[in-house]
Amino acid sequence: MENLALLWGIIGPGVSGAIFGAGWWFWVDAVVCSAVQVSFLHYLPGIFASLAALMFNCVNKDEIGYDYYSPYGDDSEWRVKLWLFVAYVVSFVCLAGSVGLLVQDALTNKGPSVWTGVAGVLQCVLVLISGLVYWTCHSED
Amino acid sequence: MALSRSMRACLHSGRLALLAILVSGGIVLQILACALYNNWWPMLTVLMYLILPMPLIFFLGSDTSSMMSNGGDGWVNFTKFLTGASIVGSIAIPSILKHAGVIGWGALTMELSSFVVFGVAILWFLQMNGEDEYSGVF
Repeated sequence: MENLALLWGIIGPGVSGAIFGAGWWFWVDAVVCSAVQVSFLHYLPGIFASLAALMFNCVNKDEIGYDYYSPYGDDSEWRVKLWLFVAYVVSFVCLAGSVGLLVQDALTNKGPSVWTGVAGVLQCVLVLISGLVYWTCHSED
Repeated sequence: MALSRSMRACLHSGRLALLAILVSGGIVLQILACALYNNWWPMLTVLMYLILPMPLIFFLGSDTSSMMSNGGDGWVNFTKFLTGASIVGSIAIPSILKHAGVIGWGALTMELSSFVVFGVAILWFLQMNGEDEYSGVF
């Protein structure tokens, strides 16, 4: 089991990059193959999902813990938890927004096709998964 | 060791020559995919190929073990992230061009073959560079 964790620490960043790239390339495929012009509103869930993944990984994992010592006082870790909370809120809003756009694309005949909506949802899911993968595999000590 | 010193030096040069042949073959496949059909959109994949060996360029020159460890250096992780993204991009760019109808099956096949050849060359270079630490030829 320890060997598996060690291997994950080695390969994990590469896997995270692969998942991130796959998410964005699905979106590029949807935009390139779309018969109509995709408006900028449809780009926003992917952009904010990437921002949320970046927000996850701005936090040092060791700063969240009961044995963390801070010279600024005992209550300073609420800033880190607030930052993570905001990151999770942004990520879930992205997921909800992409699903909403998928429903809109499916119900209306004009506008982008269903593949654009599906690719948007896939993009959000894969980008957020890559953020979580990078979070779990890298350690800063 | 049964082999003499000159024989081992000759084998080492042979491996380097074969590695050079592999890289040249990848480049030829890449250019053929564009030139045969007079369609230079697949050259976008070259951007991904430039990012692919980034961990080698940044970290292998000094210490090969830092790439195969989880010491946690942020820059090592970031270059591994970029390598993973560029691997997926090397497969995604020809696939998207085919899906959009810009290139045909022949160019797609040559693009993916070029990626496989480059991948084999890089992995073999890693293996060759790693084992040279303990069995030096010179």
